[in-house]
Amino acid sequence: MKIRTMEYFIKEALSSLRRNGLMSFASVTTVALSLLILGMFLVMVLNLNNMASTLESQVQISVYLQDGLTDLEMREVGTRITKIPGVVQVNFVGKEEAMSRFKERLGEQQGLLNALGEANPLPNAFEVKVDKTERVKAAAQAMMQFKGVENAKFGQEVVEQLFALTKMVRIFGLIIIVFLALAALFIISNTIRITVFARRKEIGIMKYVGATNWFIRWPFLLEGMMLGFGGALVAVLFLNETYGVLIHQVYESLAFLPLIPQYPFITNISVVLLVTGTVIGALGSTISLRRYMQV
Amino acid sequence: MIHLDGVSKIYDNGCVALSDITLDIPKGDFVFVVGPSGAGKSTFIKLIFREELPTKGKLIVNGRNVGELEPSEIPYLRRNLGIVFQDYRLLPNKTVYENVAFAMQVIESSRRDIQKRVSHVLDLVGLRHKAKNFPGELSGGEQQRIAIARAIVNNPVVVIADEPTGNLDPETSWEIMKIFERINRDGTTIVMATHDKTVVDAMKKRVIAIEKSRVARDQVKGVYGYED
Repeated sequence: MKIRTMEYFIKEALSSLRRNGLMSFASVTTVALSLLILGMFLVMVLNLNNMASTLESQVQISVYLQDGLTDLEMREVGTRITKIPGVVQVNFVGKEEAMSRFKERLGEQQGLLNALGEANPLPNAFEVKVDKTERVKAAAQAMMQFKGVENAKFGQEVVEQLFALTKMVRIFGLIIIVFLALAALFIISNTIRITVFARRKEIGIMKYVGATNWFIRWPFLLEGMMLGFGGALVAVLFLNETYGVLIHQVYESLAFLPLIPQYPFITNISVVLLVTGTVIGALGSTISLRRYMQV
Repeated sequence: MIHLDGVSKIYDNGCVALSDITLDIPKGDFVFVVGPSGAGKSTFIKLIFREELPTKGKLIVNGRNVGELEPSEIPYLRRNLGIVFQDYRLLPNKTVYENVAFAMQVIESSRRDIQKRVSHVLDLVGLRHKAKNFPGELSGGEQQRIAIARAIVNNPVVVIADEPTGNLDPETSWEIMKIFERINRDGTTIVMATHDKTVVDAMKKRVIAIEKSRVARDQVKGVYGYED
């Protein structure tokens, strides 16, 4: 294809966009809305995933021991724990240390503990770290079987709930996105249909003088792609701005929330959105060209 | 140049437009296709540029078997044909120059070729001074001359015209016919469907009369032969 021909296609596409101003606007808006929501879901799902895996990587197993074990018996349990596959670190936390940590956490309300007098109800425990998160569950179950072990707990539930939430958001988001994408597709294909109709005379003449089908199709395809890309661009700009504000707010008030930093995260999502928008545009015009232009 | 061998055209609704037509139009011929309305003239014209497909028989145009062309080959058949319609079919929002240049643009001719060739054909039809005008500012005859310029700008081997003088007064029709005659003198084959008795009788060219879907008459230096 010659450069001049490409110029001609672009010029034709742009003039069509202008001529059908209102429809073009509607198309761009629909695409922008759909992609904005797609973008928001992507941001949400990826952040939830990120949170879940951050938490998961911090997961450790707390192994509580029965009261009244001898030092030897306790050391025995410790050795057996070390031999479980995947275990990388074992720390002993005695009753006294557990109590002092507890006091620290209570802070100014330590006075509450006075009611206990000299008694220390906290058990001796091991804190165990495992190399891979998939092994946490199995390791905890193995430890529970050991003689002298009261219980082995880990943050499994929180992690599982987070993953369940991510999954729900993902499914829900997917349904909404599919519907919105269909709406965008419909609007774009309608816009192109109107353009094809407005230019049917020209198309007829082009056919009579021997223009190839692709020569006739290109301007319409480009028009659809421009609509899709334009919509995506609006969504991307909006998303970028909003995420920047969100990150800023979170860092100021909820600093512990592990949000994914804005760059390159949003840049990557922008690329996905722009490509999706352009593809939706191209698809929309293809549908119209198939149906309304017998070339 | 154009060769029909037992060609029939039956439309989907059962209407028989042409039946068992066999004829030959050699290169450089000037042929009038005449006959009553609805006898099959337009179908005959449409078959040649593959607007319609023959139902039966073999149709060869410029060496191509039209009935067996792939859809993607149709544009290349048409690049060798120039087509002129009764209603001119110019683009109202393009100037005269742009209308003619358009036919070269869509087959991706170079800018220099376009400039040279468009000026030349506008000269040929005597309208170079109207190059910057829009079709709406031109008379019917002038518009048809522009349409002819567009039809011949890509150097077709055959020019096909469907009632080119149907909307024009006799005097203007004559001017148009003179242009066609000149194009024909340069070696281009011309096939023209027409109702214009005066023109046909005066030109003394080959006349093919189609009646009731068949060739009723095929005369060298023929006459129109109907009283309408």
